[in-house]
Amino acid sequence: MLLRNVFTKTIRDLRWPTFWVALGMGGMTAYFAILFPTYSKILDIQSLMAKMGPLAKLMGASGDVNTLTGFLHIELFSMILPALMVALVAGMGSGFTAGEESRGTIDILLSYPISRRRLVLEKSLAVLVACVVTAAVTWVCGVAGAAISSTALAPDKLAAACLMLVLISLVFGSLALAISAATGNRGTAIGVAAGLLVVSYLIDGLAAIVDGLNTIRWLSPFKYYMGGDPLRNGVNLGDAAVLAGLTVVFMVLSVIAFERRDLAA
Amino acid sequence: MTAAIETHKLTKWYSHHSRGIIDVDLLVEAGQIFGFLGPNGAGKSTTIRLLFDLIRPTGGSARVLGMDVHRDRLAIDRRASYVPGELSLYGDLTGRQLLTYLGNLQGSVDTAYREALIERLDLDPTRRIKSLSRGNKQKVGLVAAFMIRPDLLILDEPTAGLDPFIQLEFEHLCEEARSEGRTVFISSHQLPEVEHLCDRVGIIREGRLLAVESISALKERALRKLEIDFGGPVPTEAFANLPGVRDVTVDDGVLRCTVMGSLDSLVKAAARFEVRNLRSVETSLEEIFLAYYGAGDGIAEEEAGHAAA
Repeated sequence: MLLRNVFTKTIRDLRWPTFWVALGMGGMTAYFAILFPTYSKILDIQSLMAKMGPLAKLMGASGDVNTLTGFLHIELFSMILPALMVALVAGMGSGFTAGEESRGTIDILLSYPISRRRLVLEKSLAVLVACVVTAAVTWVCGVAGAAISSTALAPDKLAAACLMLVLISLVFGSLALAISAATGNRGTAIGVAAGLLVVSYLIDGLAAIVDGLNTIRWLSPFKYYMGGDPLRNGVNLGDAAVLAGLTVVFMVLSVIAFERRDLAA
Repeated sequence: MTAAIETHKLTKWYSHHSRGIIDVDLLVEAGQIFGFLGPNGAGKSTTIRLLFDLIRPTGGSARVLGMDVHRDRLAIDRRASYVPGELSLYGDLTGRQLLTYLGNLQGSVDTAYREALIERLDLDPTRRIKSLSRGNKQKVGLVAAFMIRPDLLILDEPTAGLDPFIQLEFEHLCEEARSEGRTVFISSHQLPEVEHLCDRVGIIREGRLLAVESISALKERALRKLEIDFGGPVPTEAFANLPGVRDVTVDDGVLRCTVMGSLDSLVKAAARFEVRNLRSVETSLEEIFLAYYGAGDGIAEEEAGHAAA
C-alpha cells in the first residue's frame, strides 16, 4: 500500500515522472546501442568529429567515437542523460518542501507526528529510489541494445557510468532541495539548480579547449562525473566520493534550513 | 488539571508586514469548547500555527496539553489535531485515500469510527479531492481531525462552506468531544457561528488578545439597546453626554440609545421626566464583539456602518 508513510507516498507521487524519464533515457540508450553499427557504417564518425574540432571536445568527446562506448559517452552521457535526470531529480527535490508549502499541504502534514527532518529524509530516500530505477532502466536498455546489435559494450563500465549519473543528479537534486528548504520558493530552487548545471557543464567542457578555465575546472561537479571516463575506466572512487560528499553536505544543509524556518501558510 | 493551551506573552513579530501577534496570554482549560474570535488578519491563524510549531515565536512561550510546542511537537501531534483555515489537501487522492494516509501517519485509526464520521458528515469518500467543493473538502479535513479522537482539536474557521445540516452535525461532534473531556478550539470571524457552541471565547484584534470571557459574562457586559417612552417631549441634550450612553435620538417623546455597562446614569437622567415605558432590546453578540473591537478607537462604529451598508 503506497499510502503507508511519507516515503511510499512520495514514491507514489513520483511514479509517473520517473516512468517517463526512465522511458526516455532507456529508449535513447537502446536506440543508439541498437543502431550504432548502422551509424558507424554510414558515417565516418571519427572524421566527423575531427571536422568539428574543438566543438567535439566541448561535447565531451574523448578519443574513440568509433566504439559504442565512446559514442554513448559523447551522445548521451555527456549532456542529455544528466540533463534529463537532473530535471527529474531537481524537480522532485524542490517539490518536497516548497511544493508542499505552495500547495498549502505542509500545515496538515506536519500536524501529524512526523518531524521535519524525517519528512525531508523520507522524501529524499524516495527520490534516490526513483534515480536508481531510472539509471537501472538505462543500463538494462544499453546492455540489451548492445546485445541486439552484437556490439561490444562492457556491462560493468556502463553500470559505472550509470552510477556516476545517479551521483551527479543527486548533487543537483540535493542542491535544489537545499534552496527550496531554505527559501520555500520552488522556482528559485529549480532556476538556481538548472543554472548551475549549465554553468558547470560549460566550465568542464570549455576547460578542454580554453586553458584558462583549467584552473577552476575542479569547481565543476561535471569534472567528477565524467572526468574519469567511467564508460572506459569504471568508477573512480575519488570522483564518486566528491559527488557523494557534496550531496551529503547539501542534504545536511537542507535539513538544518528546513528545521529552523517558519513555514509558509 | 493541565490546561489544553497555555501561552505566555506569545509574540510573533514580522518586520516586513503587519500581521503578527503581540504578548498573547491565552489560557484554554481542558474539556471546553473555546471560541477564538477576531476579524480576518487579526492573528488567529498565526497563533494556531505557532501552537503547531509551523512558525516560531519571536517572544514568549506556548504549551499545548502541558507540553512545549517546539520541544515536544511530536508528542503533541499524537494527541492534537488541526484543520487549517485555508485547507489544502492532496488533490489527486480520493477522500478515503487521504484519510488512510493521514491515519497511517498518525499510527492507528479506528476505521469503524472513521467510516461513521464519513457517514455522519455525508461525505463521498470515493471522489478525488480536487473535484470536491470547498464544503466537501472541509468535511474531509473534519473527518481527519476527529477520527483520531484527539485530546485537543484546533479548528481554524471550520464551518466555512458547510451547509446548515452538516454544520449542525459538526456541532454535535464538538459537543460529543467535550462530553468525553476533550477540548475543542475553534477560530472564527463570525461570532453567531460559534456563540451557542462555545463555553468561552477569546477576542483578538490586530494581534492583541482583547478579552477572554465566558459567553454569559460577555452577554452581561452587553451593549444594550434601550427605548424609553416619555410622557412628553424631552430634550436630547439631557441624555447626550451621559457616560456609557451613545447613539441617542429622541423622536416624538421616545428616546432610543445604546448603553454599555451600567444603566445607572441613564435611569437617573430619565427619572427627571415621566417615564411611561422602558424596553431593553436584546443585543446580539455580534454587537458586543464589535464593541470590543472598537474599544477606544472608534473602529466599531465604522465597521458597524460597513456591515449595515
